[in-house]
Amino acid sequence: MLRFIIRRVVVIIPMVLIVISLTWVLVRLAPGNFYTGEKKLSTGIEANLREKYGLDKPWYVQYGKVLKNIVRLDFGNSLKYEGQSVNQILWRGLPVSAALGLSAYLIALLVGITTGSLSALKPNSWIDYSSMTLAMLGISIPNFVLGPLLVLLFSLTLFWFPPALWDGFPSRSMVLPALTLSAIYIAYIARLTRSGMLEIMRSDYIRTARAKGLTEGQVVTRHALRGGLLPVVSFSGPALAFLITGTVVVEKVFALPGLGNYFINACFNRDEPLIIGIVAFIAITVLVFNLLVDVAYGFIDPRIRYS
Amino acid sequence: MSHSGSRFATVLIIVGCLIATGCLVSARNKSFFGKTDPPRENILRYVSGSEPESLDPQIPNLQNEARISLALFEGLAEYDPKTSEPAPALAERWVVNKDWSEIVFYLRHDGRFSNGDPITARDFVYTIRRGLAPGLGSRTASLAYPIKYAQAFNEGRVFVFDPNTKTFLLERDFVESTEPAAPSAAETKQPAASKNDVQPPENATAETEFHRFMQSPARLALPGKEKARKAALDANPKLKAAVDGKQFVTVTADSVGVEAVDDYTLRISLMQPAPYFISMMPHQFFRAIHQKTIEKFGNRWTDPDKIVTSGPFKLDSWSHYDRIVVSREPHYWDAANVRLDKIIFYLLDSNTTILSLYKSGGLDATYNHTVPAAWLDGIGPMKDFMDASEAAVDFYNFNTTKGPTKDVRVRKAMNMSLDKKALADWRHVHALTTLIPEGIFPGYPQLKGDSFDPEKAKKLLADAGYRDASGNFDPKKFEASEVELIVNPDANNIPYAEFIQAQWKRNLGATISIRVMENKTYFVAQAALDYKGVSRTGWSADYLDPFTFLGIFYTSSNPTGWSDPKYVELLDRANRTTDHQERYALLAQAEQILLDAQPIMPTTVPTTRMMKKPYVKGLYPNPTTLHSWKAVYIERDPSKWDYGMPDMSK
Repeated sequence: MLRFIIRRVVVIIPMVLIVISLTWVLVRLAPGNFYTGEKKLSTGIEANLREKYGLDKPWYVQYGKVLKNIVRLDFGNSLKYEGQSVNQILWRGLPVSAALGLSAYLIALLVGITTGSLSALKPNSWIDYSSMTLAMLGISIPNFVLGPLLVLLFSLTLFWFPPALWDGFPSRSMVLPALTLSAIYIAYIARLTRSGMLEIMRSDYIRTARAKGLTEGQVVTRHALRGGLLPVVSFSGPALAFLITGTVVVEKVFALPGLGNYFINACFNRDEPLIIGIVAFIAITVLVFNLLVDVAYGFIDPRIRYS
Repeated sequence: MSHSGSRFATVLIIVGCLIATGCLVSARNKSFFGKTDPPRENILRYVSGSEPESLDPQIPNLQNEARISLALFEGLAEYDPKTSEPAPALAERWVVNKDWSEIVFYLRHDGRFSNGDPITARDFVYTIRRGLAPGLGSRTASLAYPIKYAQAFNEGRVFVFDPNTKTFLLERDFVESTEPAAPSAAETKQPAASKNDVQPPENATAETEFHRFMQSPARLALPGKEKARKAALDANPKLKAAVDGKQFVTVTADSVGVEAVDDYTLRISLMQPAPYFISMMPHQFFRAIHQKTIEKFGNRWTDPDKIVTSGPFKLDSWSHYDRIVVSREPHYWDAANVRLDKIIFYLLDSNTTILSLYKSGGLDATYNHTVPAAWLDGIGPMKDFMDASEAAVDFYNFNTTKGPTKDVRVRKAMNMSLDKKALADWRHVHALTTLIPEGIFPGYPQLKGDSFDPEKAKKLLADAGYRDASGNFDPKKFEASEVELIVNPDANNIPYAEFIQAQWKRNLGATISIRVMENKTYFVAQAALDYKGVSRTGWSADYLDPFTFLGIFYTSSNPTGWSDPKYVELLDRANRTTDHQERYALLAQAEQILLDAQPIMPTTVPTTRMMKKPYVKGLYPNPTTLHSWKAVYIERDPSKWDYGMPDMSK
């Protein structure tokens, strides 16, 4: 088990370096610079800016600086935001994204697993049909449509929740974004739970459990759920990683100061250190969560052993 | 099952929501967009645009930062709330000398920084020198280039010193001399200051060593970088010979033409006459900043716990990507007339989010262009919709360096075959046929560009060679594939471009394709003339003077590639002319040259399109949408509210 974890951690390092290098090349290939705008700067001013930020140096010097920064886990200063370091920005955006992502994740797990299990236990009943229709809706409505619809209903018609902005955690301002964000995950989790459970309910060890004389409730909670949730676990690990590292669309729709909002603007602004910092952060988080999921398998499914 | 089923259900939900909103909204007050309950406290909740790059007034160059700088910092002059013209602020008045080479500002004696330090002429000397320092990387430093040796300092140029004669080489000996200055009229004073019409006290003309240096003929300034200097010298053999064996002395901050004659008298010497200089004084680049704080904290000086400001409000907090809160500054000299206790600037830039927030009562006013064109039919008639002409123009660039648009007849034809009136009516704005918008600069002789005339356009194209055997215009001959219309995906650009495309199709029979490009990609392509045919652009005034628009084409490094020495000469001559009307006439002559060459296709004058709750007073849809915040207040008595656009006349 320990060897397995160490081996995986060692693989993460080159992976992150590859991701960073690719990102750096892509940023460099994109036309324009952080100071490019509608009103062209005079050549003298542009030269001053290039010198100030080291853009007049050869590419290998600049790339070397990026790698050095990664190794030290200090991504340098933002180009766009004078006097702010990338690390400072990351630590500022992360709590917002994480609070939002975690709430959405919990809602998704709770609602998704419940409806999924109910559907699986009573397949082809009205519960099954209605929850699966809702799940289908959840998957097919993109969140940039769902968000404004919820705003229209709850903020501009009923005036229950604010339509945008962040008032900290917990607050009423979180409700709509968390709901919007969770919709698609509720739907996926409900469907995964349903299909996983349906399959397990037909398997031999469930029949054995029933034969032992366990009540249906015990069969479901002790045996069926553990096996039936495996697909949900493998889905929700990376999903959680993505949820807490910032969700571009929802943060943009509700104007939340999270990592997703920073990221999309960093790309539009060609703010290279910030883009690289956020990409590195997301890459590391996703890889670590994948590792956690693999480890979790071992605990949930007795059939899996790490050697 | 589910595919068509779910789609049907979605449609049902959407329709349901729309009906529900529609009914409820119509049950509320129809003449305003959403809630009209004033905030309980004396606070203005304003949306200022996207996250500022910095609160340092000298670094960034966009409006979203300017709006906040206006609250935190004050300069020699401030924008008039209604007209956006410069009005006395930290300078009580100013006097300009005869040939527009020198301006003396008389500062008020009670100006204070937020830490209580007095604001003196020396602070402005520091402010201007610091903004120009090459290492700062200010985007707006070029605004100060009319100041003597400012550009040379900012670009890191060098003077050439002759060790034998102990003198510096002079510019006039090496640069082809332009026409002698036009005879100047009597001493000009800024109208805003003329009410304090006092003769300058003795010290204004105080003779100092620095002043003599400023008055002496301009020194030659060569590029500081070896490579660039070599190129400049190789291009001018006479210069190369003269420079041989001389010393290069880097231009320093001390050479920049700003001088504190005494604590409250600031003298600025200009490189060349610039009658538009005063109108740039309210720009944030020129707003007073605190030397000790900046020297102590470096680029962290704007952190809320460190910043020292000079404006009517001080910084309380900056929650990034969310909001900036400022509150009344007790040290401010005019604190008694600051009416708001606080301003919350929300850092938002998505129009739908902004309007939702405004409607739900979370915002009291918005910045300009926050109402999308598609909403105008609904919002346009409402009483809190503010729509006034701006000091800005929408136009399209023609690439005059290649392709069919190299031919002036093609440019003229494309311009003439667009029905600008129809475009303007559709967008609820004014049509524009010239570069200078009408009515923004009182007294400017308004020109008239080519009017809509598809027949003449076809004739011009036939003359340009796109004709059939009988000599008539033949759309098939027109190389439409060599012309495209590039736009960036901002705001309303695409429907706008489609309208123009349809016009060309209908009036010329030519199908010109539209290419939508990501913002920065588009800016780069446009600036490098790396586009075929036409590119969308716009320009908002940096300062209230026609030169802000005409100056775009002062050099050929503009996005059309067009240039004309006659045009440049007229502009130079105009700026040497101190008589206001005479100067305007010369500027108009230059504009006529531009219109004749048609490097651009003017389309419309943008309007403010902002929202303001009726209880917000003192905030006007002025030409720059930059507000003097101390004039703004919350009116609680509904009988004094604004039911419609506030009166903009003085």
